[in-house]
Amino acid sequence: MSEQRKRSDNVVLDIDKLRIHYATPAGDVIAVSDVSFQLYEGETLGLVGESGCGKSTTAYGILQLIQHPGYIVHGNIKVDGAEVLEMSEEELRKFRWTKLSLIPQGAMNSLNPTMKIKDQIIDVIEAHEGKQRDKEALKNRIFELFQTVGLPNRIYNMYPHELSGGMKQRVCIAMGIALNPTVVIADEATSALDVVVQRIVAQTLIKVKDMLGVSLIVIGHDMGLLAQIVDRIAVMYAGKMVEIAPVENVFAEPLHPYTQLLIDSIPSIKERKPLKIVEGITHDPRNPPSGCIFRLRCQHAWEHCAAVEPQPLEVSEKHTVACHLYDEQFEERRANAFAATTNS
Amino acid sequence: MPSPLLQIRNATKIYSTPGFLGKEGKSVVALDDFNLTIDHSPATITTIAGESGSGKTTLANLVLGFIRLSSGQIIYDGEDVTEMSDAQLKRYRRNVQAVFQDPFGVYNPFYRIEHVFDLVNKHFGLSNNKSEYRDMVEAGLNVVGLQGKDVLPKYPHQLSGGQRQRIMMARAYMIKPRLIVADEPVSMVDASLRASILDAMLRLRDDHGISFLYITHDLSTAYQIGDKIYMLYQGTTAERGHAVTVIDKPQHPYVQLLIDSVPVPDPTEKWDVNISLPSEEEMRTASATGCRYYPRCPHRMDKCLTARPPLYVMNDEGHEASCYLYDDHPVTAELPPVELKTVVDEPESKSRVPMAAAVVVAVAIIGALLFAANGGEDQTVAETPTEDASAQVADGGDATPTTEETAPTDTPEEDSGIPAVLITADDGTEKSALIAGESTIDEITDEAEKHIYTFEATDGQTIELRVNAEGSAFTSPYAYMYDADGEFVTVAGDTAIRARRSWRGDPVALSAGTYTVVVAPYDGSGIEEYAVIINEVESAEETPTEDATTDETATEEVVVPDVLIDAEGGTEKSALTVDEATVDEITTDDEKHVYTYEATSDQTIELKVNAEGSAFTSPYAYMYDAEGNFVTVAGDTTVRAKRSWRGEPVAIPAGTYTVVVGPYDGNGVEEYAVTITGVEVEVEEADADTTDEGSADAGSEETVVEDVVVPDVLIDAEGGTEKSALTIDEATKDEIAAEDEKHVYTFDATDGQSIILKVNAEGSAFTSPYAYMYDAEGNFVTVAGDTTVRAKRSWRGDPVTLSAGTYTVVVGSYDGNGIEEYAVIVETSAD
Repeated sequence: MSEQRKRSDNVVLDIDKLRIHYATPAGDVIAVSDVSFQLYEGETLGLVGESGCGKSTTAYGILQLIQHPGYIVHGNIKVDGAEVLEMSEEELRKFRWTKLSLIPQGAMNSLNPTMKIKDQIIDVIEAHEGKQRDKEALKNRIFELFQTVGLPNRIYNMYPHELSGGMKQRVCIAMGIALNPTVVIADEATSALDVVVQRIVAQTLIKVKDMLGVSLIVIGHDMGLLAQIVDRIAVMYAGKMVEIAPVENVFAEPLHPYTQLLIDSIPSIKERKPLKIVEGITHDPRNPPSGCIFRLRCQHAWEHCAAVEPQPLEVSEKHTVACHLYDEQFEERRANAFAATTNS
Repeated sequence: MPSPLLQIRNATKIYSTPGFLGKEGKSVVALDDFNLTIDHSPATITTIAGESGSGKTTLANLVLGFIRLSSGQIIYDGEDVTEMSDAQLKRYRRNVQAVFQDPFGVYNPFYRIEHVFDLVNKHFGLSNNKSEYRDMVEAGLNVVGLQGKDVLPKYPHQLSGGQRQRIMMARAYMIKPRLIVADEPVSMVDASLRASILDAMLRLRDDHGISFLYITHDLSTAYQIGDKIYMLYQGTTAERGHAVTVIDKPQHPYVQLLIDSVPVPDPTEKWDVNISLPSEEEMRTASATGCRYYPRCPHRMDKCLTARPPLYVMNDEGHEASCYLYDDHPVTAELPPVELKTVVDEPESKSRVPMAAAVVVAVAIIGALLFAANGGEDQTVAETPTEDASAQVADGGDATPTTEETAPTDTPEEDSGIPAVLITADDGTEKSALIAGESTIDEITDEAEKHIYTFEATDGQTIELRVNAEGSAFTSPYAYMYDADGEFVTVAGDTAIRARRSWRGDPVALSAGTYTVVVAPYDGSGIEEYAVIINEVESAEETPTEDATTDETATEEVVVPDVLIDAEGGTEKSALTVDEATVDEITTDDEKHVYTYEATSDQTIELKVNAEGSAFTSPYAYMYDAEGNFVTVAGDTTVRAKRSWRGEPVAIPAGTYTVVVGPYDGNGVEEYAVTITGVEVEVEEADADTTDEGSADAGSEETVVEDVVVPDVLIDAEGGTEKSALTIDEATKDEIAAEDEKHVYTFDATDGQSIILKVNAEGSAFTSPYAYMYDAEGNFVTVAGDTTVRAKRSWRGDPVTLSAGTYTVVVGSYDGNGIEEYAVIVETSAD
């Protein structure tokens, strides 16, 4: 499977130092803090982190859908070379769905319960391409979409409540790809589904990506699922990007202590292990700690972590981590830290 | 032999709905002939796993006593739960505690964490003094790995999901239960914090001997901490055994697919994408007879259609699978009879029913089912399995296939939303004649019971039929009216939580004659109490359906319950002081508190009452004058927010009054606050400079003691969508679909006009519209809100007197869940 996934070095989406705040009476909450990453043509990138880490906000930021009290402080978002932040409202409207489409969280519950499936898809198409005169062609186009996502044609005239959760989720995928976008962002597209249905939907996503050659960002919290379907993983913690690497590297050798924690806490169904308990000391998002954002929960933190904020370090090709342990000048400390971990 | 801690025997739960116009109704078998045993010791974690709809939450609700079995038994420590005396039940409720999925929703955001423990201490009377109590709380928190000083003074939002869930465990631990039913306790908590909750469960099991019924869809956590696992598929046990064995070596084809679908956290071991997965539509259709997995099964055989496979023994460590692939294995042994401490109806001998006999039984049952279907009698369908199941208990048929009788799922018709006219007057209990405008209250306790009333109409009389259940949130009475020839006239219903499906009859013009009104439960849950009323309507023809609905939500025509509560037998309490809330607790079903109130002069007051705590409480307060004459009533039925109300302002002469407070629905009230508020009728200047005070007042009047923070006036008109002008006394309906959408209306007031602002959401029980009114200068005038389920925070604007001018009304959602539909109304105030 992974051989089929064509990876290229063409960057289709380039995020540079994106920063998004939510204004609150007690001060701004930093939801996304200077996040940078690239999405390559035809790849699947997993964006992972705990609830509230800013992964959905990043997605909404890319689409310019941040709503009050949220606002973009600064950053650059280029899709196929075009700067999203400089677009007018009208340009943006065209740009969404056609270039960049979002399958939002809980999408299956966002279908209009009073409209037939066909009308909802037609709505998406006509909103961007104008009134479609050739009804037969439109119908065939929708049938084609159904086929792509593995839905039977008979749902054409059905209402959302007549479909199962997995089918509704696939209707949302069909709407997401209806206008042949370059990039599709799926925000927790499978998280409310039973495990078998989750597998069907996840496989549908990958199949669609391969068939259409789109680039895909999968936002999720289930590391196991991401291991199955993505090419690269970007790990966020408290609004920061802490590690980006090919999925194989992340699972074989996670570098950032937080990534290590995430991988350690995946419960296995292969062997029983002692539970690894980590206290979640969460900081006040309005007043993030100085230096490294993760140091309050990090077992390796030392004074330097409080003093200096770690910058992304490229430790190997396409593997970037923001942690002082990987700074060459602290090599000895790293060796000690991980020796201690292995011993314990 | 000692009886097990918990045993579930041949448990079947059927949810049934009537059909429509003679069509067959639907029955959904949520749990089908299910057996489970949890031993006294050692304490174990028993996992119930399965996909949604497999019956696992039904099982949890059954064990917790939220719903009742259609047939079968739940035996706790040798006592049948359905036969328990009040004292036994109390003990059972103490010994069986619950931890729920959502660690965010169970907390009241306005109280510190310590309040959780205060409540449980008070309710169960756990400690004798403060220091003992503090030690208990600390000990409980330590068991789950927390420290009192770190969490007790905090508010819920200051803690992580993992901490909150562990506090719920600590709370349960304080009561020292024998069993904790944990329904998806980790599914809403971040992955890196889950381990701490699982660890708390292990500690409670190993160090404190507390067993768990762990309900989950997450096989990996079950694998990590579970002892025994039951894999449910459509209400039946597909496979059971030790969690590690079952997950390592699944035998049932469904369990194999399920475990194969759990994503492996290893990118080098990717899914075989070309595996053929069943199409989803196949996944939901159960076969009516035989194995429920047949439509999806890759190994299906003709045999699978004949009868449900029994559990076959895979090894001698209790690993069993219900699949004919293993029919060369021995069939699982019978559950040994339990010696009940109270009732004895246990069969003596338990010989296995041969398979052939089972098929004969099945065929007979199918025959009965078809007969029932043709007869169009829904109750028969629902009842059949009950009788058969018990018959089979007598025959000793634990593994006897009993599926087929209960699965008339072959009615693909979608629910039209309108209930079927399935309830006829046949077999009903005859009741009195109904009188127009007077509500009649009665109780239905049995699922199949129905009550028949008559109604004498005069010619041309236009009426509305209404029915509403008080009490349990799970009741759902329906009333059907027929004329003398048995022709259907109108229908009314109330489905409580499922608010979308509640409705009332439209006004109907009758000709002179006798009509029949049949009242019955709709969902097979039984009705504890209901009130039925026929209201006379003035103008007949020009009330179209839509208006009727609007009317319903907007004006909340509440049927005030009969004055059931008199002062007799009540506990005497203190005197009430005007504008001061008095808080107390009622813990038993039939307790009532009697207060006095001295009106020193002629005054106008409002009586109010509000329950803290459980969503199922429902205090009612009645006020009587010195002669025992009824003065006013106030009530709070929480969940079903539509039916909560306060007394209207009442002018009373000086004198002594009695206020009686009691629970209405027999569920007991944990805590309530009763207040008499003085109303200044004559004062017109209500709102000169009350931007802040206005909201504060609204809060203190509503829940008085509860310290409710009325939401900041977050919603200003900016950024809202402009809507039409509101007309006095006319509800305007609209929809809010996005979380941050708001609608801005205008309202033109005449000078001195006195109004009440009200708002109500249709649809999801979790919606929560708020309406704020501002004057032309942007000064806050009044606020109204409805948060449905979380009824504590619902309120209306108090009467406000406006001066001439244009006012703005902003409607928005408060909790960020969006509102499907709401109705806003500016009503003329009574005074």
